Amino acid sequence: MLSIKNLHARVEDKTILKGLNLDVKPGEVHAIMGPNGAGKSTLGYVLSGRDGYEVEQGSAELDGHSLFDMETEERARAGLFLAFQYPVEIPGVSNMEFLKASVDAVREARGDSALSSAEFLKLARVVCKQVNLPVEFLKRGVNEGFSGGEKKRNEIMQMILLAPRLCILDETDSGLDIDALKVVADGVNSQRSSDRGFVVVTHYQRLLDYIKPDFVHVLSDGKIVKSGGPELAKELEAQGYSWLADHPDEVPAE
Amino acid sequence: MSAWLDMALNGAPINDSLVSQRQQSLALLRAARWPNRKVEAWKYTPVRALEQIDYSAANQSTAARGVDAVEGLSAIELVLINGVPQAIAGELPAGLQVRALSEGEAIAGELFGSVKPSRHIFGLVNDVLAADGWVIDVAPGVQIETPLRIVYRTTEAAQAHGRVLVRLGDKSRLTVIEQAEGTEPSMSTYFSEFSVGVGAHLEHYRFALQTGAAMSVGGCHVLLAERSELHSTLVGFGSDLSRLDVDVIHGGEFASAKVNAIYLLDGRELFDLHSTIEHACANGTTEENVRGIAGGQSKAVFNGRIHIHRHAQKTLAELNNRNLLLTSGAEINTKPELEIYADDVRCAHGATVAETDKGALYYLQSRGISRSQAQIMLNFGFINELVDAMPNAALAQWLRPQLRARFAQMGDA
Repeated sequence: MLSIKNLHARVEDKTILKGLNLDVKPGEVHAIMGPNGAGKSTLGYVLSGRDGYEVEQGSAELDGHSLFDMETEERARAGLFLAFQYPVEIPGVSNMEFLKASVDAVREARGDSALSSAEFLKLARVVCKQVNLPVEFLKRGVNEGFSGGEKKRNEIMQMILLAPRLCILDETDSGLDIDALKVVADGVNSQRSSDRGFVVVTHYQRLLDYIKPDFVHVLSDGKIVKSGGPELAKELEAQGYSWLADHPDEVPAE
Repeated sequence: MSAWLDMALNGAPINDSLVSQRQQSLALLRAARWPNRKVEAWKYTPVRALEQIDYSAANQSTAARGVDAVEGLSAIELVLINGVPQAIAGELPAGLQVRALSEGEAIAGELFGSVKPSRHIFGLVNDVLAADGWVIDVAPGVQIETPLRIVYRTTEAAQAHGRVLVRLGDKSRLTVIEQAEGTEPSMSTYFSEFSVGVGAHLEHYRFALQTGAAMSVGGCHVLLAERSELHSTLVGFGSDLSRLDVDVIHGGEFASAKVNAIYLLDGRELFDLHSTIEHACANGTTEENVRGIAGGQSKAVFNGRIHIHRHAQKTLAELNNRNLLLTSGAEINTKPELEIYADDVRCAHGATVAETDKGALYYLQSRGISRSQAQIMLNFGFINELVDAMPNAALAQWLRPQLRARFAQMGDA
């Protein structure tokens, strides 16, 4: 469903992604691990179309549609979801208004009928409970004054409400204590299904104890330099990332 | 000076019971400097556009269309068409007296010019030319639950001048909504003066929603007696010329004023809000929150002055002005002025001008929300707090879709 080929991308004058390839099939969970500065967050931003992130070459398709031909909102409507590492605070816009506008837009694009305010509220309450956020959070400004964990749970709530085809989780584990991590992982696991793919971007192996990946990839200097099964994550945990710099020859050529 | 002014003053002043006050104002007006770039209060606000309307084409018919009701708001409707009072429908509650200014009530002579400072040049124009308007008197101790909605309607190519004089007796309570709209070429001055008695409460709204070629220079001037309260909400759109002068005078101790203002501009519009808070007595509080959004090539002007007199000890005063610039062509001129002559006071002021938060825009878009809708949501988010703070929920309900329509028009280009 997601097919990335030879992706080169830059931020301002600096090329960050240097020939990244990745294929995600429905039902699969892929973990992307790597040291700081490898381009992990850049991948999510490029795929979702953030301003300032420029594709130099290569392609990315979601269900056969070229992502780079679409606006950010069109990518979301096509089923791409990025859970942010740093969700944005938007004072003055209520979480409820935001979630409703978002779900309305995505449903409309899919040809589903719009939910009434009452139907939506009912749904939002259920999902709030699922991610362990008090219902009052619906009335607050988007992420306004939320703790790190609350912000991440709000991201997962959005993911559940939008029911995307492909979810990219960008360091969703950062800044979470173990209880919050479990809530987030439970939320993600509840959404695993045979027609949905996940790309879990993380620096640490810890999250992968809770969200079991089918594949693990190591991203270094803008490329995937090693791929394997879940056992690769354990290896990385034991060895760290220093081998990448120390033994560049061991890295298999693309 | 100004060809418009010469034309407007032709034949003035009006020979009624206010004639001596009108003559005084005329003398002041003749001696005053007509607004130009070198006059500080008009530095950013040119008035040239006044000269460009062909006022001879005015249709003086007062049979203009009726006034749109505000859903869910049961109000006493006081309509001025080109400054001429229209018949009031229904009975007035006990303790409330409403008369046309031209009826020459003694109270009109007492209130006329008693609150409005004489430095407002268009206020002087209004003194001379406002033949009519409304005189409103609330008896002491009377709580008027039904809001008064004063609608200022100006027809195409008309010059209209209207005056509203309001007295709230001690411990009384009143809600006054002043509302002006219109897009057609015209020039109006609507000035209101409020004398708020001891312990009285005034809930006030001024919607200066003229756009396009509908020009307006007006004012609201409030004198607060001891322990009285003002809650005022001002909303302005811009037009070829739209200016509002607001004065709040703490004329007694322990008075409290809350002023919330919003202005939203688009195209080549201009909106200018000058507010002056005079703390002339001790123990007063003022909280003023002003938010503005300017798109297109528009120009917003905000001047917020708080003047704390020597004896106004224990004053608490806060003034905050935040602005959002949507385009590089838009312009915001903001100047908070704090002048403090008492030593035991707490005052704060701040003014900011920012652009749309690109990160927030991207975040909303990444959830499937279109860029234009996201921009509208962010604009709304910027002013929502002040709309929510409007004490009258029906009015807030009425205002929201108008703001939404305005934001949709403003776009982000």
